[in-house]
Order: sequence, then C-alpha cells, then structure tokens
Amino acid sequence: MFCSMIRIRFQGRGGQGAKTAARILGTAAFLEGFTAQDSPLYGAERRGAPVSAFVRLARGPIFERGLIAHPDLVLVADETLLAHQAARVLEGVKDETPVFINSSRPAQELKAEGACPGRFITLDVTGLALARLGKRGVLSAALGAVAARLVGLKEAGVRSAVEQELREVGLSASTIEQNLTLALECFRLVSAAPLTESVPAEAPPTPLWTPQYEAPGRGSARITAPANAPLHETGDWRTFRPVLDPEKCNGCWLCFAYCPDGAIRMDRQDKPVFDYDHCKGCLLCVEECPTHALIVERETAGPRRKETA
Amino acid sequence: MTREMMTGNLAAAWGARLAEVDYIPVFPITPQTEIVEALASWCDGGDLAARFVTLDSEHSMMTAAGAAAAAGARVFTATSSQGLLYAFEVLYTIAGWRVPLVLVNVSRALASPITLEPDHNDVLAARDSGFLQIHAETCQEVLDSVLMAYRIAEDQRVCLPVMVNLDGFYLSFTREPVTKPEPDQVRAFLPPYRPAHLGFKASAPQSLGVAVLGGASYTYFRHQMQLASLNALAAHQDAAADFARLFGRRYDLIEGYRLEDAEDVLVMSNAFATKGRAAVDQARTKGRRVGLLRLRVIRPWPADAIAAALRGRRAVAVLDQNLAPGLGGILFQEVAAVLYHEPARPKALCSFIGGLGGKDISEGEFEAIFAQTAAAGDRRRGIGPVLLYTEGEQHTMQELLAIAGNVEQPSAITPQRSGGDPDRPLSSTGS
Ligand code: SF4
Ligand code: SF4
Repeated sequence: MFCSMIRIRFQGRGGQGAKTAARILGTAAFLEGFTAQDSPLYGAERRGAPVSAFVRLARGPIFERGLIAHPDLVLVADETLLAHQAARVLEGVKDETPVFINSSRPAQELKAEGACPGRFITLDVTGLALARLGKRGVLSAALGAVAARLVGLKEAGVRSAVEQELREVGLSASTIEQNLTLALECFRLVSAAPLTESVPAEAPPTPLWTPQYEAPGRGSARITAPANAPLHETGDWRTFRPVLDPEKCNGCWLCFAYCPDGAIRMDRQDKPVFDYDHCKGCLLCVEECPTHALIVERETAGPRRKETA
Repeated sequence: MTREMMTGNLAAAWGARLAEVDYIPVFPITPQTEIVEALASWCDGGDLAARFVTLDSEHSMMTAAGAAAAAGARVFTATSSQGLLYAFEVLYTIAGWRVPLVLVNVSRALASPITLEPDHNDVLAARDSGFLQIHAETCQEVLDSVLMAYRIAEDQRVCLPVMVNLDGFYLSFTREPVTKPEPDQVRAFLPPYRPAHLGFKASAPQSLGVAVLGGASYTYFRHQMQLASLNALAAHQDAAADFARLFGRRYDLIEGYRLEDAEDVLVMSNAFATKGRAAVDQARTKGRRVGLLRLRVIRPWPADAIAAALRGRRAVAVLDQNLAPGLGGILFQEVAAVLYHEPARPKALCSFIGGLGGKDISEGEFEAIFAQTAAAGDRRRGIGPVLLYTEGEQHTMQELLAIAGNVEQPSAITPQRSGGDPDRPLSSTGS
C-alpha cells in the first residue's frame, strides 16, 4: 500500500482495453475510499496504435493532471510494446519501479533482453484469456484486476469495479461473468508489489528555448517529403499476425481488398503476400477470408525482424 | 447525494439532467460528443423528459437553441472548438435576444494546424459575444457550474445566455470523484423556468430580434446588455451563497490558493490551475512565497475582485493558455487594465503563454515562471509575452520537421535569457 499518492501508467494498444483497465482500477480504489483520478491518452483512435492511460490514487486531494512522466507502477498490455520505439513504455521507470508485462515468458528473460530499468513481473494474461474465454484481445478486466492487486486493493472492490465498468461499456451479463472469473484468477496469481512512492523531484527550472522566426516552409505545418508513410512501421502495432495456408487459398483477392493499410500484395498465383513491416495486425483479412486460409499467430517480444513473407 | 467517478463530460450532462432541461439541440464534435451521447441515452430511456434534436450544424444548433429559449423552454447544448466558431454569428444574435440558455464548451485548440487537445482560443474568441462565461477547474465544478449557470442566466437582473467551459481531455475524458446533488435540492436551488418576457401566450403576439436602424436605439439595447452582464456579478454571488447553503460547496468569481502571504501571484484558469496549485506547493517548499489566483467567471469580468486579490503584490504573472497572434495573452491584457489605477499595483506584470494545444506545463517550467517573475519583481519591470517552449521540445520538433521534409536552415538553439540577470542565460545546457 502507499501513504500519500501513487501514479500508475497503463500501456496498451487501441482496442486492448487499457482505458477500461484504468477505469476499473480507479473505481476499485474509489470504492475502497481513496481519491482516484483516471484518464486515457490517445490521438485519432486506431486499433493497434500505442495508447496510454493514467491513474492516480491518493488519500487526499490530487493536484496533478494529464500524463504521468514518473510512474510508480507500469502495466504493459502486451510484451511487443517493449520493443516499440515510439510507445516509450519504460519512460520515467526507475530500477525499483514495478513493471507488469502481459507475457508468457519469464520476467528475467524479458529484462535481460531489453537491458532496461524496472522490476519486471510477468503473467500470461493473453494465454489465460484464450484458455478461459476462448478469445484474444480485450484484456481490460484482467489488467485492471492485476493493477488493483499490485497496489494492494481488496478483492471485493475489484469485483464491483469490474462489473460496474464492463456494464458501462455495454457488455452482456454472461460476458461480464466470464471476464470477472478471469480477472479474479489473475488477481490471485500476482501479489502486492512493494511500491516506492516517488517524492516529487526537485525540479530545477527547465531550460527554455526562445522561438525564432522560420521561413514559411518550416514555419507552417506541411509535409514535403514524398511517400514517407512507409517510414512509419505499423508492423510494431501487431499482437497477432495473419499467416497464409496456401493450400486453402482460392485466390479470391478479398483479403487484399479489405486490408485497410495496403499491407497485402497479390502474387502471380493470386495468393496474398504480407508486408509485415506495415501489417498492423487488425486481422480484418482473417475475418474476411471465405476459405479460412489465414491463420492467426501470436507475436512475441524481441526486435522485430525486417521481413516480407 | 451520491458520490461517484465521473468524467467532466458526464458531469456536464448530469448538470443538464438535474436542471431538468426541456430542449437539447445537438451536433457532435470531439471532445464534446460524450455529453450529448449521455443526454441522448437518457432522453431515449425516459430518464430525462427533454426534446432531443440533432441538427445539421452548430450554426443551426445554436439558432434552434436560441429560438427554443425564446419560446420559453429551458435549453441546454454543447460544442467545442471549430463548432463554437461555426456557430459564431448566432452567439451574438441570441445573446441580443436576451435568452437565458446554457452552452457547455469543451475547449479544444483551433485549427490550423488541426489538433484535438485544449487551449482557450475557442472560448475566449466568444468573450465579446454577450454570453457570460464560467471556466471550471474540476469535474465537480463542471456539474455545479451548469446548475449555477441556469440560476444566473434566468435571474431577472441578467437574462443572458451562459457558457460553461471545461478543458478537453484534461477534464472531458478524466474521471474523478463527483458528488451528485439530489434532484429535490436542485429544484429548491433552481425553480422552474418561467420567464416573464418570453414564451408563447394566446392573444399576446410579440416580435423578437427586430431591426433598430439608427445608432441611438441600437446603443440603448447594447447598453442594456452591458448592464445586465455586470448585474451577473451580484447574481453570481447570490447564487453561490444559496448553492453553498444547499450543497456545501462554495464558488466565487475568482479563487485564491495560498494567497494570504504571497509576494508573487500566478494567475491561471481552467484545469491546468490544478497543476498550478501543485507548483505553488512545490515552490513554497523551496522558500518562495507564491500563490495562485484562478479566474473562474471571465464574463462579466470581476475587476474589483481581481484588483483586491492582486494589489500590494511584488509581481504578478498571468499564464495565458491562449495566444492572440501579434499581441500575446488575452487575459494578461485584461488583468493589466484592472491594475492600472491601483495605487499599490504590483511592481511587475509578467505574461507567459503556455499549454497551447494541450502542451504540458512541467514542474520545471513552472519553476522557470516563478524564477523569472520573482526577478522581474525585484527589477520592477515586467516581462513577456514569454512563449513557453522547452529545449527538449524544440529538439523533437526539429526531428519532426526533418521527417516532414522541411529541412532548410534550422535556427541555432539560443537559450532564453533569465528574467533575473539579462546577461546570464537561464541555462547553459543549450546545444
Ligand atoms: S494484412 Fe490483415 S492483419 Fe495486416 S493490416 Fe492488412 S488486414 Fe490487417
Ligand atoms: S481472402 Fe483468403 S482465399 Fe481469398 S485470396 Fe485472401 S487468403 Fe486467399
């Protein structure tokens, strides 16, 4: 538990439920009598893009708002985010900061790979979700419950919070019940983490820069670099990848037509070829393939290989 | 009274629901949409007996809102940013009709470039429209201010529309504990809307919004708006007293934080004022005697209250979360005008521009503001407008410009000079 205030940051991808996980934690703490504040941060929402959500829990009023640069606890909704440059999941993490990662791999292994700060804790939430719900993807209830456990909240509050927040999102009673079972299982599988509350750091005046006039080419918002979209490797967003089973493919081109990111090229045999540097893992192609020729494989952490299948 | 976790948007919707509004014309826009979505579901489910109407634009929406209020209905609507600007001519028009409706604006910075996060150029653009303006710092204050807004708007001394402002993202999507007043108590605070001069009555035709050619008659009615707006100062205080008695929460025209013994005062508004409080606490631990003045009611402009809070200080810094290009901060000008005739006016007035497009203001930036303000006070000469931007942000921006292909001659980084000693750079880490 904590004495004055703790700051928790959730890192996930659009569609995984980081926002709802933050709300579950906020509600659970609120029901236990704490002052809570939770807020998501996202831009133009896109499935798969890195998103964050922030929760502050305190015994008194909270005089902070917006992003959390120095978290006391971080929860990462899937391990592939660790390798994602722009997501900066470990920003502001100190050696003693607990970092929970949804991963099937041991914490030490991930930590050794990244050579990064933080006390890593792992649990295969996705694996449990697949086993218990038969579904991948939305992890909000389980992640919220794990966070609640790590900060030392009680099970009763978590139970009500999961029910309340999932009802809010419009889920059916049976789906809520399944999620609750999974959430409580995850709750029991982790133990409260020793939290070191960050004392507000002595902030020296930030070095300021005096804006200078620039020629309009640099001073107005414009893009002159041709075709730079490929530089943005949305392959980093993927938690699951589509893989072709050529035997089953009938060459109908539907996957090609439905891919929102132009990440599929058709070869001379009318079979899809995936550009995994840019396939963002939305799995629309898998949904649309009439012959079930596309299989879903789970991504694991580690530097993503440059590849085109 | 129940207390629950609520976003600023939901708090705004609850304000309208508890005010038992009759008519809600809407048009969606991020980050406001959640307000009208909540109201739509309540109207649909029978929790709120209001007529909910979707219009084709904010211009039509505001026209419908004004017309319904003139017909005697209690009206609520909400918008943001470009939407507010699209409704602009109607704002002035219906304020002149003297219709007491409430419009919630969820602040979002204006294009161009396009963005989603907040600053106050949208709401402050409407400062001369005749609408009163209340700017909220917390989700609780959003809900409470909507209720107070109806009470003030419908006061016979006022009869003007009111805009309640909350910041996009920082309040609109942020949940915090909010106490929901009981409907019975709200009814005691806010009696049913029965305007003497508006509405349809059999055999009593009236024509509103008529033309008055000739400056003297036009001036007569504009003077009435000025006097009505000033009357809102007293109407606000009466409403605040009743509100405090019924609900235990007290709102003033302005709000001070640790002002009693403050030498230097930072003036802010809206949700970032919460960060300002933390910055004041932090600066005090280092021995700076600083305080915060939060502007809550911005129209009418509470000149006397502001002068009283700022007289006798060493230095005052106004942190504007808006930018009037070619001038600087909008609220700085208004604060400066209030202090001109004060015999004990502060020795230095400083103007800072920060938080544009929701840009964070870090603890270090607040510390820079306090340091520069203190130095300006000692020097007896104000500074600004200081455009807050960090060296780190400038470096990132250079990288983004390069990716965008805009690579011709970047300027060299020149560290900003400290307010204390014009010859000593604030930091030597510029590279
Ligand atoms: S290839 Fe499939 S999974 Fe990848 S982006 Fe296209 S539709 Fe989505
Ligand atoms: S949709 Fe399926 S069957 Fe059709 S081309 Fe794509 S992989 Fe082959």
